[in-house]
Amino acid sequence: MNNNWLKKNTFHHSEFKDINRLVKEKTRKNLTIALCLPTLNEEKTIAKEIIIIKSELMTRYPLVDEIVVIDSGSTDNTRKIAREYGAEVYKANDILPDLEAFKGKGENLWKALYITNSDIIVYLDADIKNIHHRFVYALVGPLILFDNIKFSKAFYDRPIAIGKSKIRPTGGGRVTELVIRPLLSLFFPELTQIMQPLSGEYAGYREVFEKIPFPIGYGVETSMILDIYEKWGLDVIAQVDLDRRVHRNQDTKALGRMAFVILKTFFNRIEKLGIVNLNTEIFDEMIQYNLVRNEYKPDIFKIQGVERPPIIEISEYRKKFNLT
Amino acid sequence: MQTYLDKLPSFVDAIKSIKATIIANIVFIGQVPAPTFKEKKRTSVFMDRLAESGVDECSTDGYRNPIAIIRGTSETKPPIFVVAHLDTPFDAETDHNFTIKENSIKGPGILDNSVGAGVLASLPEIFRKLNLCFKSDIVLAGVIQSMGNGNLRGIRHLLKTWATPIRGAVCIEGGDLGRINYYSYGMIRGEIDCDIPAAKEWEHQFKPNAILILNEVINQILRLSLPQRPRSRIVIGKISGGFKHGTIAYNAKLGFEIQSDSDKMVRAIHNDIKDIVDGIGHESGVALNIKTISNLRASKLEYNHPLVKSAMAIMEKLNIQPASDPSESELSIFLSNNIPAITLGITNGKNYHLENAEMEIEPMFKGIAQLIGVIMAIDSGICDE
Repeated sequence: MNNNWLKKNTFHHSEFKDINRLVKEKTRKNLTIALCLPTLNEEKTIAKEIIIIKSELMTRYPLVDEIVVIDSGSTDNTRKIAREYGAEVYKANDILPDLEAFKGKGENLWKALYITNSDIIVYLDADIKNIHHRFVYALVGPLILFDNIKFSKAFYDRPIAIGKSKIRPTGGGRVTELVIRPLLSLFFPELTQIMQPLSGEYAGYREVFEKIPFPIGYGVETSMILDIYEKWGLDVIAQVDLDRRVHRNQDTKALGRMAFVILKTFFNRIEKLGIVNLNTEIFDEMIQYNLVRNEYKPDIFKIQGVERPPIIEISEYRKKFNLT
Repeated sequence: MQTYLDKLPSFVDAIKSIKATIIANIVFIGQVPAPTFKEKKRTSVFMDRLAESGVDECSTDGYRNPIAIIRGTSETKPPIFVVAHLDTPFDAETDHNFTIKENSIKGPGILDNSVGAGVLASLPEIFRKLNLCFKSDIVLAGVIQSMGNGNLRGIRHLLKTWATPIRGAVCIEGGDLGRINYYSYGMIRGEIDCDIPAAKEWEHQFKPNAILILNEVINQILRLSLPQRPRSRIVIGKISGGFKHGTIAYNAKLGFEIQSDSDKMVRAIHNDIKDIVDGIGHESGVALNIKTISNLRASKLEYNHPLVKSAMAIMEKLNIQPASDPSESELSIFLSNNIPAITLGITNGKNYHLENAEMEIEPMFKGIAQLIGVIMAIDSGICDE
C-alpha cells in the first residue's frame, strides 16, 4: 500500500495557528464559513462550544460567519442555552417540513446544508468537553490554504472522562479499532491511513457535501468517507491532528448499536459498488440481551438504514441556492 | 470622583456585551491545571491571552510571574497594579474541564481563582470597550506560588524586584461579590509532623500512636488562653495520618494557622505551641516536629483611607453590599510594602474550594465594573500623598 497520502495530507493543528493568515486567505478567496453543531440533549457542553468559537473565531478573528445548532428534539435546555449564547437554533423537524421527518445526527447534518449559506461547513459534535477554537481553525486551515483539499477530518488522542472529575489517558475509539479499521483493511486498505474515520469533527466545501447522500444516523461518517473517496479520490481529503478530545464515555451496548449501524452502512456501500454480493437479506434490528430477574430479555433496536439523497437533488435546496 | 461614579452603572451593560470574551478567558485559563509550584502551563496560556489582547508589553519577571503592561499617558505617574493569583489547590489529574450553564460556570478552582485570572486577562479588551485610558501604566500581574506552601512567593518576588514606586494596587479574587479586604492579620502558618519509626522495638512498652499524639498536641493548644486584645486565634485547619483502620498510626500531620492583630502576639503563641510540641515529643519519645510554612506581618489600611472610602462609594453606586474581613493574601504583601491596596471579589458562587465549585455569571459584570471604578479612582490620585 502506498502511504504517500499519510505523509502529504496529514497535518497538526499547530500548522494553522496563524489565524490571521487564514482570515486573510479566506477573504482573498471570498469564502464564507459556517459551523454546525448537531445536538440532542447537550445542555452540559453546548454553551462552551458556542462561546469559545464565537469569542475566538467571530469576535477576535472573523473566520467563522455562522454558528448553527440543529437539534433533534432535546428535552433538556439545549436549545434555550444555545440561543442565549448567540447561536442560530433550529429544530431539525422544522427544516424542510414538507419532507418526511427522521431523527438522527446525519439528518441534522444534511439539513444544515439547507439552513446555512456558507461555502465551507464545519461539523463538530456538541459533546466536546475540552473545546478549543483549534477544533475549527485547524479543520478549515487545509481547506483554505490548499486548493486541492475539499474535505478535512479530525483525529486525536481520545482520553475519556470517567467517574467524577478524573480522566483516563487512553481509551475511546473502540468502534474505530474493532469495526471500521478491520473493514477498511479488508476492502479499502488505502483508507486505513485515515486515523479516525469515525471522528465527529470534519469540515468540507458545500460543493462536496451537497453531492453525497447522508445516512440519517451514526453511519454518516462511514458513508461520507467512502463516498468522497469514490467520487473524488483520497487526495481531496486531509486529516488534522487536534491533539486531544475529551468526551463522554459510552457503554458497550451503546457502542454495539453504533457498530451495527456502521456495519450496515458499510455493507450497503460495498454492495452498491459491486465489491461484494451479499445475496441475502440484511436485517434492520439490533438485538441485545439483558438479564432481568434471572431471565434473558431481548432489547431490540430497529435501525432503518434510511439515507437522505444528495441535497442538491432537493428542489427547495436548488431554489434557495439558485441552481438550475 | 463623581464623574466616574456616575458612569459606573452604564459600564455594567457595556462589559456584559463582551461576555463571550470574558468567559472564554476564564475557561481557557482555568481549564489548565495549576497546582502551586506547577503553574507553568497556565502561565503560558495566561500570557498568550494577554498578548493576543494587544497589551503594550507582555513578559515574565525573574520569578516567572506573567506580567503585562498597558502604557499610561503620563510619564511621571507611578503604575497601578492589578493582580490575581494563578495557582489552585487541585492536582493535574483532576478534570479541569468546566461546564458552562445558562447562568453559571462550574469546575474546580473556578472561584479560586479562575474568575480572577480570566477577568485580569480580559481587562485590556474591557478598557477598549469602555474607551478608557489611564494616566498611570496599568500592570496586570498573574502571580504564581501564592497558596499554601507557596507562601505568596510570586508576589513577594515581584514587589521585591520592582524598581519604581507603585501608586496603588487591586487584588482580584473570584468571590464573593461585595468582598473588600483592606487589612491582614499577622499570621504564622505551620505544620506539626509526628513520625514513629516502624522498625523500633516497642515490645517493652505501648507503641505510641501518631494520631493520638497529635490529639494531645491539639488538646494542649486548646488549653492555651488567648487574649481578647490584641484579637488572636489559632485555627486547626488540616489533619491527616494513619495507614488503615486496624493499624496503629505511625505518622500524622497537623496544619494550623495563628492569626492576630499583633505580630508580637503571633510570635508569642507560636513559641507556646513550640513548647507544647517539644514537651510532648520528649515525653513520648517520638519524632515530633514543628515547621513554619508561611508567615505574614499584620498590616492594614485605615477604614477612612481614601482607597477604602472610594471603594465603598463605588460599591454603593453599584448596589453592592460590602463585606470586609481580614485577608492573608497578595494584599498583605502590598500593605506590608506600604503600597495602598485592597482585594475585591468579582461574583457569587458556591462550593468555593470543592471540585464542583460554581460561579454565577450575571453578578460578574457588576463585579468587574467595581474593579474598573477602583482603578479609575486610583488613577485619579486618591492614593497619592
